[in-house]
Amino acid sequence: MNVLNEWAFVGIFIAIAWVFPALPIIIARFFGPKKPNAIKLMTYESGVETVGDTWVQFKIQYYLYGLVFLIFDVEMVFLFPWAVAYNELNFFAFGAGLLFIFLLTDALIYAWRKNALEWS
Amino acid sequence: MEASFDFWTHLPAVIPELLLTVLAVVVLLLDLYGGKENRRNIAFVSAIGLAAIAVTPLIWGPSEQQVFWGGMVRYDLIAQIFKVMIIIGASITCLMAADDSEVGHKGEFYLIVIVATLGASLIAAAADLIMVFVGLETLSIPLYILAAFRRDDERSSESGMKYFLFGAFSSGVMLYGFSLLYGFTGETNIYTLSQAFPAAVADNPLPLIGALLMLLVGFGFKVSMVPFHFWTPDVYEGAPTPVTAYVSVASKAASFALLVRVLLAVFPVTLVIGQENLQTLWVNLVSVLAIVTMTIGNVLALRQTNIKRLLAYSSIAQAGYVLVGVAAMQSQSDYSVASVAFYLLMYTFTNLGAFAGVLIFSETTGSENIKDMGGLSRRNPWLALGMTIAILSLAGIPPAAGFFGKFYLFTAAVNANMVLLAIIAVLNAIVALYYYLIVIKVMYVDRSQYDSQSIALSRSTLWVIGLTSIAVLLLGTFGAQPFFDWAAQGAQALLAL
Repeated sequence: MNVLNEWAFVGIFIAIAWVFPALPIIIARFFGPKKPNAIKLMTYESGVETVGDTWVQFKIQYYLYGLVFLIFDVEMVFLFPWAVAYNELNFFAFGAGLLFIFLLTDALIYAWRKNALEWS
Repeated sequence: MEASFDFWTHLPAVIPELLLTVLAVVVLLLDLYGGKENRRNIAFVSAIGLAAIAVTPLIWGPSEQQVFWGGMVRYDLIAQIFKVMIIIGASITCLMAADDSEVGHKGEFYLIVIVATLGASLIAAAADLIMVFVGLETLSIPLYILAAFRRDDERSSESGMKYFLFGAFSSGVMLYGFSLLYGFTGETNIYTLSQAFPAAVADNPLPLIGALLMLLVGFGFKVSMVPFHFWTPDVYEGAPTPVTAYVSVASKAASFALLVRVLLAVFPVTLVIGQENLQTLWVNLVSVLAIVTMTIGNVLALRQTNIKRLLAYSSIAQAGYVLVGVAAMQSQSDYSVASVAFYLLMYTFTNLGAFAGVLIFSETTGSENIKDMGGLSRRNPWLALGMTIAILSLAGIPPAAGFFGKFYLFTAAVNANMVLLAIIAVLNAIVALYYYLIVIKVMYVDRSQYDSQSIALSRSTLWVIGLTSIAVLLLGTFGAQPFFDWAAQGAQALLAL
């Protein structure tokens, strides 16, 4: 039996997935009343109206903070299972976790010493 | 993890990688606490450290060749050979960078090179799709940073950006290929995938063909195979010269090691899905790509005036030659794999030598134009000689190593009954002679505006030029057969389970 038939529902799903969001939009366009005014046309939900030119350069410090934050955010993901299973770990797994923390600390010290955490 | 997991039996399989991590931490701390005046010494610490690590795969390893760490990495001779050439390449790169005015005094540069080397040496031994991806990213992300290392230079930023965009996209496509393989078989181990295929896809080869094409996109990008080569000239030109040298040898060698392993292990000759022999498929595909890559690389190289762009197109063409060897793996795969490994080994030294020459030249004159290299033989005969040896090797003229490199590759093609492919490759090599010899002619015959200005070689660059030239000459004469036999021995280990 052809194995692709088992997967055919993925194809059907993709086809339907296009129709589903498109349909309400099309229906709304044909049947909905259109009475635009300035307030209705304003941006809402996904942000606010911009003030001034949007093509300004952001302070590079944002990126550094973002990166440092990301490192420790990801660290959480790895260390959480390690901490939960702590009681049943053998020495190797314990050491691997410590090594991981050490390497991250190393990176933090580096960022610190290079003044990446200064806001000026 | 099995209950009987013995840490100490698994440890030696990743000794070079562990030592690279240690070296990275040491370099980081040296950069922080070493003081500004000692920055330049970081280059030598890295270079010597890497050179020492390059030897470890040869003297300390597990007693048997098999997969380790739960099937993640494989320990075998061919992986060790590739690791040695990658780490030596990195070592010479560090030595070369010591006198680069733009990157040489920055400790981070060496740190990032070491981390990239860690990734490269992991993928040379990777035996699992997860490891392949992690290794490739550990290699790629530092390379994007390195390409954009000169922050004040627009060309460098542009090259980093281009490299990143192309790289991210091709990684994505390759990951999609991995997901197809995993989705159909439920396996991620390279060595068990092919056994799981028949049950998984029955008689329909379509998913496997899709996966194969997507894998080739990812690897094709890394080795700058046409039609995924567009980043190469811009990145090579814009990136700092030591980085260009590193990208052209270590990253390429690691990617070819991976390509060879994946193609042979995942799509072996015995694999027939519904009358379709998948190996025939990829052999035909790679042959066509090899022809296109060689031809486009060489033809475009003919018109270049910038030496780094010339070497970029030349490296595309060289990738094409290596693909000839990859295509020839269909029969007598030992010989072909060995020829690929030997070619990459000699290419590592050759290209590092060539780029070291370019680096010294552009450091002194600030120019990268070929015509400004006029009279180099009078300005510094040793530099001109080193460059000449490297370029002769790229062109494949004895006694430089490039001759045997090409000889083995083309012999592999003839052995595999791909005579036409071999003939096209030889014709391409003849076309390439033109632009390589032009550079030599400019250095020895022409005159330029800088003619009276002499070029000084510092001690570290002298070492780089000397070492690479000697290695190239050695591999082109007495060293060729022993090293090829060594590689052939390694090639046998590639598939032996």
